Amino acid sequence: MQQQLASIVDAARQDSVAVTTRAEMEAFKARVVGPNGSLTQVMKGLGALSKEERPVVGRLLNEAKREIEELLAALLAKVEDAEIADALGAPTDPSLPSPEVPAGSAHPLSRTRERILASFRKLGLTVAEGPEVETEWHCFDALNTPADHPARDMQDTLYLPAAFRSADAPRKGAESVLLRTHTSSVQVRTMLSRKPPFRIVAPGRCFRRDAVDATHSANFHQVEGLWIDRQVTLADLRGVLDFFVKETFGPDAEIRLRPSFFPFTEPSFEMDLRSPNLGRLSGRWLEIMGCGLVDPKVLELCGLDPKVWSGLAFGLGLERIAMLVHGIDDIRHFYANDARFLRQFA
Amino acid sequence: MKVSLQSLARHVDLAGVTADRVAEVLPMLGLEVESVTTFGLAPLPQVVVGEIKSFERHPKADRLSVCLVDVGDGAPRQIVCGAKNFRAGDRVPVALPGTVMPGGFEIKVSKLRDVDSAGMMCSSEELGLGKGEDGLLILTPRAPAVGTPLNALYGPTDTVLEISVTPNRGDCLGLRGVARELAAALGRPLLPLVLATPAGSQPSGGPRQVRLSSEACPHYTLRAFRGVKVGPSPDWMRRDLEAAGLRPINNVVDVTNWVMLELGQPLHAFDAASVKGAVEVRPAHDGETLELLDGRKVPLDGTVCVIADETRALVLAGVMGGAGSGVSDATTEVLLESAWFRPADVRRAARRLGVSTDSSHRFARDVDPAGVELASRLAADLLVRLAGAEPVGPAVTAGRPPRADVTVDLPAGFVAAKVGAPVADADVSAALTRLGFTIEATASGLSVTVPSFRSDVTRPIDLVEEFVRVHGTDNVPVGRPAAPVPGDEDAPSAAFAREVAARLIGAGFMECCHYSMRDAAELSRTLGAGRAAALALDNPLTAEQTHLRASLLPGLAGALALNASVHADLRAVFEVGVVFRPQPDGQVREHLAVSFAALADPVTRSWKSREPWDALRMKRLVLDVAALAGASQVRLSFGAADGGLWQAGHASALLDRARSLDGAAGVLDLRWTRSLGLRGPVVAGEALIPRSALAEGRRTPRFEAFSSFPPVTRDVSVVVPEAVPAAEVESRVRQAAAKAAGKEFALEAVTCFDVFSGGKLAAGSRALAFEMRWRHASRTLTEEEAAKALEAVMTALEKGAGWTVQR
Repeated sequence: MQQQLASIVDAARQDSVAVTTRAEMEAFKARVVGPNGSLTQVMKGLGALSKEERPVVGRLLNEAKREIEELLAALLAKVEDAEIADALGAPTDPSLPSPEVPAGSAHPLSRTRERILASFRKLGLTVAEGPEVETEWHCFDALNTPADHPARDMQDTLYLPAAFRSADAPRKGAESVLLRTHTSSVQVRTMLSRKPPFRIVAPGRCFRRDAVDATHSANFHQVEGLWIDRQVTLADLRGVLDFFVKETFGPDAEIRLRPSFFPFTEPSFEMDLRSPNLGRLSGRWLEIMGCGLVDPKVLELCGLDPKVWSGLAFGLGLERIAMLVHGIDDIRHFYANDARFLRQFA
Repeated sequence: MKVSLQSLARHVDLAGVTADRVAEVLPMLGLEVESVTTFGLAPLPQVVVGEIKSFERHPKADRLSVCLVDVGDGAPRQIVCGAKNFRAGDRVPVALPGTVMPGGFEIKVSKLRDVDSAGMMCSSEELGLGKGEDGLLILTPRAPAVGTPLNALYGPTDTVLEISVTPNRGDCLGLRGVARELAAALGRPLLPLVLATPAGSQPSGGPRQVRLSSEACPHYTLRAFRGVKVGPSPDWMRRDLEAAGLRPINNVVDVTNWVMLELGQPLHAFDAASVKGAVEVRPAHDGETLELLDGRKVPLDGTVCVIADETRALVLAGVMGGAGSGVSDATTEVLLESAWFRPADVRRAARRLGVSTDSSHRFARDVDPAGVELASRLAADLLVRLAGAEPVGPAVTAGRPPRADVTVDLPAGFVAAKVGAPVADADVSAALTRLGFTIEATASGLSVTVPSFRSDVTRPIDLVEEFVRVHGTDNVPVGRPAAPVPGDEDAPSAAFAREVAARLIGAGFMECCHYSMRDAAELSRTLGAGRAAALALDNPLTAEQTHLRASLLPGLAGALALNASVHADLRAVFEVGVVFRPQPDGQVREHLAVSFAALADPVTRSWKSREPWDALRMKRLVLDVAALAGASQVRLSFGAADGGLWQAGHASALLDRARSLDGAAGVLDLRWTRSLGLRGPVVAGEALIPRSALAEGRRTPRFEAFSSFPPVTRDVSVVVPEAVPAAEVESRVRQAAAKAAGKEFALEAVTCFDVFSGGKLAAGSRALAFEMRWRHASRTLTEEEAAKALEAVMTALEKGAGWTVQR
């Protein structure tokens, strides 16, 4: 009996070598432990044995069964490995490149805009938006720009025909509709629609009737800020701008406010920046933005009482900042969309 | 405006103040310095007067001469020279070896075509004196001694600052105004203006009658002179004019220009003989023409103001003189005009003519009415002194100055409140006094009298600016911004644009940025010629930028084509921006467009191939974009996109029953993209969202419990005519499946998993197969329930829709 069992196990072991598929494994299993399997036959004969023989043979039988089960477990693992290998194919060379399209990237103007907005957001200035086609009142009159101001000239500003009706900027009376020349019109809309105090920053596209060259673009982007509260001071203005500049250009950057003139602020300044980290422009005062305290006339025109409310405002050119930060020498790159340019800022 | 420091020093003591210091101070007062240049002869100690003793032709070069030049240091030296304009005996400037010329070039002893040359004889231009006559600067007429340093013949070197004056500061369009600013900043006094011609005038009726009949001119003065000798101006005046960039003409014209530079008040001189009878300031007559000094004949009308005599218009008021009435060499009697013209009228007239003259530029920026008489007196002084003119009576005045000094009450503490730091009253008074304002303390603060030359200062806030300018902006403290206003959020449209860009970047698209103004052909392609006309600009600058954009896709297709042509390996691009769409009601509405385009085939070869990108991928992205925009997905469907940018049969238009957004996805018109140079198909998508649709803030989602029991799924296959859109079939299946679930359990999903035509199916029909998934909230659904639900769906499709269900 012992010999018989040993030969069954041996035969099974030899037989198992040829097994590679799950079907072969099932067939093999049937041959050994199936209803008519070789080991099953021996087990069936156990009843015929004497009372004395039974425990001895039973022990041998259990031993053989355990060996067969181990064999089956190993076979299952082998078959599963083969199946997995089959499903996955040959092992890959981990150094081969991925054929997939790589992630895209944000446009340098978007990245610069988000960076600027992020620094102003820390001061609580949140984004406000307005239409790109504006009425003359929102773009000029409400900003205290006189009717014969050169900025309103057909030479400098793009107008829409008298028949043009904008759903977003309905005109009142006979006023003209134009492509906004600055995002200051968003300041006007905000003052008219929101209750102070508030702090906004208005990024957006602006338009001038300019021939395109290395420093001029028919459309460009501005980021305007407006902060309305009780008792807004020049010290607040310096504080806000100083914070922004250090966030954007690093802690070594300094600012100065150079008196200037805009119809919508009084006092008005150009803010200059000086930084040791601007390549060949390092250490020079560079004009970055216009700013000032909101002119009381503008507050009045926008329905705020200048005796109660005051404000600071500023406006900068996105292209100019991006050009300074990245050392870009031609504004046309931003609109040419050559991937060899765009990728550099990813 | 060009400001000569030597001229400026007539009005403020600049002893010990360098040009660099001035160039630092002026910008911080609001006078931007655009350039700093030297004017006149730079210090050149080794350039001396030499005499050309003799010269002969260079043996090897016809164009060169070999000269013997005496510079007073012993034997004459040999110098090779290329100029032709000299004779033996001429005295000329000679740069001795070692001289560094104004251009940076160093003179050395050298050989020119094998002939020794020990120095260089100089032209006016080489010495930095501006373009003079061709060739050497001939000094012979001035008879300087040989060996004299050239600098001894010229005055000290001057510095000229080109400053830009903001439109509110007309007072700084004269040297005295700039000097006043500088004096205030440096804490030095403004030197007095000494005039010999007395103040005062007589009313119109003296030597010339003056009539004012135009609102554009409230104040006009005229002085008459006789015995005028017209000739060249003295050197000092010519120098001053040239330093300011003006060309000397004759002593009378030069005096008017010089005074204008000095005080900012433009003047005009008439040849009195050519002015017939009374002078009238009046609106031009319709149909009247005037020949201007520049030779142009311009037609006039009642909107422009002219100075006329009894026969004709003589001058376009404040802008430009006429051809027939100016001062000429033959003039002996002069009428000198000094007047105040309303800025808006001068601006309009100048714009109409397309000119900006020194005169119109100043009048347009509101000259000081008090300067009218002052300038007239200064010019009279000079005409007497330099042209031998004899005044004929005092000035004739018509009208009166339109404004005078104004008084502004500055409440106590106002300046400090605006600056944001304590400010002493004494500091305010000191700063304003230095600007020429007069201060008086009152019970409630200060009473500030602002002179008429500062028409821009009328309110307390304007005085704050004046204080800060003089006090120094660096003395304004850097404040610590107060804490933010709680609860403020970015505009939803801005937040959306940011999110959607991140989504597309993650999907492999590179962001682009195109111009908003496009050409007519592009708009016609996008909208059709009829609708495109609604987006035309009134005054486009170029033929390429005549319309507002209606889609971002043409720009993106162009970007793909550009990058393909330069082999930049760019497959997929997107842009987020505003586009304009004409609405059925005739209005034009701004939409935030999210557009993307990709080449269907890869742009680079790869060891492992991938399926091309197709229209379905774009459709998915459009739906994702719509979801980010908050569009309710159940209200969205797709129909065929027709024409325009899209390839017929291979693109779909997004239909939104909520009408909040518009869109399309698919293959771009292949003929069009091929014409751009792109061979393979371009797949693209675009979602257009009106700003108003994004105006609402997002709702915070509320949690809904979900079942922990398994679902049941059943399939149904429907045979429908090919013309029936799949979406319609799906919608029917969905309705039926939802109804079959009743209130007891719920439909979770309906998925189209097979589309089949041909085989045993009748021609013109196709089979669509859907999987339906139901689930019960609190138990496992039974086989019977599932079977019953399936049967209900099949019955509904057969009986309700009349379609064949494959059983």
